[in-house]
Amino acid sequence: MGNAEQASNEIIHYLPQYIDALGMTVHMQTIYMIAFADLICVLVLVALGSGAKLIPGRAQCMLEMLVEWLCGLMEGNMGKEGKKIFASFLLTLFFFIFVSNEIGLLPQIGGHMVHFTSPTNDVNVAFSMAIMVMVVNYLVGIYRNGLGAFGHFFKPFAAMLPLNIVEELAKPITMSLRLFGNILAGEILLIILYQMAPWVAPDAWVFFSLCVGFLQAFVFTMLTIVNFAPMFHEH
Amino acid sequence: MVDFDATFFAQIVNFIILLVILGKFAFKPLMNMLDERSNRIANDLDSAEKTRVEAEELKAQYSKQMEEARNEAAAIVAKATQNAQNIEAEARTQAQAEKDQMISAAKQNIENEKQQALADVRKQVITLATEIAGKVVSQKLDSAEDQALVAKTADAVLN
Repeated sequence: MGNAEQASNEIIHYLPQYIDALGMTVHMQTIYMIAFADLICVLVLVALGSGAKLIPGRAQCMLEMLVEWLCGLMEGNMGKEGKKIFASFLLTLFFFIFVSNEIGLLPQIGGHMVHFTSPTNDVNVAFSMAIMVMVVNYLVGIYRNGLGAFGHFFKPFAAMLPLNIVEELAKPITMSLRLFGNILAGEILLIILYQMAPWVAPDAWVFFSLCVGFLQAFVFTMLTIVNFAPMFHEH
Repeated sequence: MVDFDATFFAQIVNFIILLVILGKFAFKPLMNMLDERSNRIANDLDSAEKTRVEAEELKAQYSKQMEEARNEAAAIVAKATQNAQNIEAEARTQAQAEKDQMISAAKQNIENEKQQALADVRKQVITLATEIAGKVVSQKLDSAEDQALVAKTADAVLN
């Protein structure tokens, strides 16, 4: 265990707990925060979505702006059909990651009683989503194009197969580590800044992290769209 | 820090549940509403365009009718003017003819009257001359005195 890892383990608590029924360890802090992010997503999005009016209010306008922007990207990359199939998946991905990234920046309540962290600072969460994206990518790809879904492994020629496999394996790893690394580093740095210079610097960093949270949610969603795009072009 | 454990599977299950809930209760109604709005806007634009075209057609029709009415009015006025001119010319001709007729009738009358007058005068002259001659004859007419008397009588008669 390196020094940095030791330091971060002291700063960031995952509250690992062994669950007998599963025979596995679970990060309870991450689970609580996932539940909190879910709660915010469900409350806000269901309230705005199910109560959507033809003449929108301000909050609905904001949501529509985000949704239409993302839907525009989907349509541009995957066409109308791709948008129809994956709109819910990608929007859920975006909003969950966005809310997850931002809740880690909430202030602590009651000393250390309630400690807000981003679920995405846990590599399990980031990696599970990246793996899910790849699995969905292959499942839908095979359903649509049969074995043609693996055609790109042999492009531009068959000898490129090993390199293409490495690239394909690297995709979920880079996607998840980018998200996880950015968010975890942001949180560690925030805590360190509070300890070193508790006045202006952490506030500036919180503002920057809010932007990073949005950006990382967008990057993850955009990379997912880019991964999905080829299956709609191989006809 | 990088410990893989059951949180991985928990997040997968969580994401699927979240996807179902948000997809059904948030994104589906929202997307439907967005579609409905864009359809509605497209329909409104279409109907506005249709109404505009209709209005233009009506305007063109109206202008055409106005033009026709104007032409018709001008034709009616021209015809009426022509009629009036015809009637005037006819009346003038008729009046001229009547005038000529009246003048010639009057001339004829005058001539007749004149002839009648001359005949009357002649008749009177004869009667008077006979009367004078009778008076003269009933007296002696052979002297110079007699002849002077005749002349005197004739003068008296004729004047």
